[in-house]
Amino acid sequence: MHLILVGLSHKTAPIAIREKLTFPATRQAEALSLLTCRECITEAVILSTCNRTEIYAVASDPEVGVDAVIDFVAGYHDLDPHELTRYLYIIKGDAVVRHLFRVVASLDSMVIGEAQILGQVKEAYEHAFEAGATSRAFNRLFRQSFEVGKRVRTETSIGENAVSISYAAVELAKKVFDSLEGRTILVIGAGKMSELTSKHLVCNGVESVLVANRTYERAVELAERFSGEAIPYEKLFDHMRHADIVISSTSATGYVVSKPEVADVMRGRGGRPLFLIDIAVPRDIDPAVNDLTDVFVYDIDDLNGVVEANLEERMREARRAESIIDEEIAQFMRWRESLEVVPTVAAIRAKAEVIRQAEMEKALKRLGGLSEKELQTIDALTCAIVNKMLHGPTARLKQASEAPDGYTYVEIARSLYGLDEAEAKHASGVLRNLLNRKAREVQDQSPASEMGDSFGC
Amino acid sequence: MLTAAIVAFWFATLLYSAATVLYAYHFLSKRRPYSWYATFLTGAGFLCHTASVGMRSVAEDGTRLDGPNQLILLAWALVLVYFVVEHLIKLKVYGTIAVPAATVLMVVSQLIGGRTAGSVSPLVENWKIGIHVALIVFANAGFILGALASLAYLVQERQLKGRKPSMLFKRLPSLANIDLLARRAIAFAFPAYTGGLLLGVVRAVETDPPGWWQDPRVMLAGLVWAVFAVYLGLHYGERASARTTASIALVGVVLVVVLAVIARTVPAGFHVFGI
Repeated sequence: MHLILVGLSHKTAPIAIREKLTFPATRQAEALSLLTCRECITEAVILSTCNRTEIYAVASDPEVGVDAVIDFVAGYHDLDPHELTRYLYIIKGDAVVRHLFRVVASLDSMVIGEAQILGQVKEAYEHAFEAGATSRAFNRLFRQSFEVGKRVRTETSIGENAVSISYAAVELAKKVFDSLEGRTILVIGAGKMSELTSKHLVCNGVESVLVANRTYERAVELAERFSGEAIPYEKLFDHMRHADIVISSTSATGYVVSKPEVADVMRGRGGRPLFLIDIAVPRDIDPAVNDLTDVFVYDIDDLNGVVEANLEERMREARRAESIIDEEIAQFMRWRESLEVVPTVAAIRAKAEVIRQAEMEKALKRLGGLSEKELQTIDALTCAIVNKMLHGPTARLKQASEAPDGYTYVEIARSLYGLDEAEAKHASGVLRNLLNRKAREVQDQSPASEMGDSFGC
Repeated sequence: MLTAAIVAFWFATLLYSAATVLYAYHFLSKRRPYSWYATFLTGAGFLCHTASVGMRSVAEDGTRLDGPNQLILLAWALVLVYFVVEHLIKLKVYGTIAVPAATVLMVVSQLIGGRTAGSVSPLVENWKIGIHVALIVFANAGFILGALASLAYLVQERQLKGRKPSMLFKRLPSLANIDLLARRAIAFAFPAYTGGLLLGVVRAVETDPPGWWQDPRVMLAGLVWAVFAVYLGLHYGERASARTTASIALVGVVLVVVLAVIARTVPAGFHVFGI
């Protein structure tokens, strides 16, 4: 099996190209069917998000497979394959595993640590699974990639710190109030930015929204979007007394909120803190307001500073995520190696040898008092039986494994001889260790083609 | 039995020290498994600590209330109060504050343990004094935890005011949460302190030593009570900012420490304890 990946992302292609190469969920089954009906492609998954389109495939020949995928993408979207190639990245072999794990861990995302990508990859895999476009290799690879995504999110803080201005405002508000449940926000000015910030705050539990704007109708319009209340601009400071968070984003050229006014507001609040977010340029809130007790003022530069610090932290966490990915890649490789024919044949023979020795020991105990010559004869006899029994199947297994879907024969052989059971389910620690040791010895010492009949005797 | 108590004590100190390291590592790295191990070690340390106190009491026919032993009991109460608080607030970050404090108390108890106990006053040989001491020890644990939380509040508030978030800013809980912990810890400690003082006063009235109310330790204890009463009055009456009440809590706990030092270094007077 040869893993290949053909794709493009925000790093390699502009939006004008990315939007042409999408595979909507409703049409993925059809696309997957067109792709897997090509002889050289045995498995495929199409990941299509706003930032990337990637086609993961298992091909019998990597070069032919890549050509087939490019041809399919170009044909499907009616594009010139040569023109398309400029924007594509092509990854083959083990690097595909690393790439997928990095994508799922959101290390390859536009915003490192964003949470959506894991769900998007899951969805892509489910489409492929339901369309019958995946088999053992991709079932294992993608399921393991979901574990990678989960591990990275739980074992690192990669997704914990806000990396947008509006989320940074939410994060800071939570550092003051802990929970935003039941809080009141006062929005001064009905601009887009204050609307976005209010939206995030409302999503995080803010209960009531008050909107003040010089044009009352616009205040009403914005308040209606949040089921809030529009207030007359002149009564701004009366209502500020009841607010916990103030978002200001007016187009005024001078300060709209000054220190004496806020000092007056704070007098009747009983020590309740007030968090002011000034996202206007020029600023609406006098920075001196921050000197008041229990008042916290953040302007756009402060919020940017928070975002930058958080991005740096995410980069640090990304390095930890890379080490998790290394561990998971090693695990996947171990699984894939188990599908290789040489260790499988070695394991079959090792198992046969263990059985032969155990049975011979039992028989010798029953017989008792045999001469050296008789012992050698019995030993040679059992060896010969085992070798002759295994020679045919192992030779044919080696031959079959060279076919395009050869790993399925290996898989069947492992299943018939119960090798995975012995190794994975800890059926017998001694047996498992012996099998592994024998298999390793054979792999290390004998060339693959010469291994076989002489094993153990 | 005494040897077993000493061994258990050192085991407890060792476990608290290991938990301190793990809590610190958890605080810096935010890796959850470390906080679990830290809590486990603190729990194990607490069991050893309890066993040590119990065995020592059996070996010595009662719990001695000298200075070192009071510190050991204070550390025990502090860990117990921390577990209660953690159960209520569900934030392990406070272990980073409380467990090191308990560890320091354990170590200090051994550093000042050289002096032998003086003769026990007949005033002290009464059940009321036992309860009086137990209540004061628990109250002091609550005051210490409240003051540590108040200190964290002032640090976090400074970070927020400074508008340059540091690592400490991200690791410490929200202002509301820290303030809640401080308030709850002091609100729990205050009735215990009041009860402890009342029992002491009742015992003093019963025995009526001359000028007992003029003893500097009695007066200082009254001042501690007044400071925390003001704290609670201002906080629950919403008549002061959280920053002001946090400062009051710190003043209160400084007085608690001064009281403990005076109790130990001024052996004259009616109310001699902790030696």
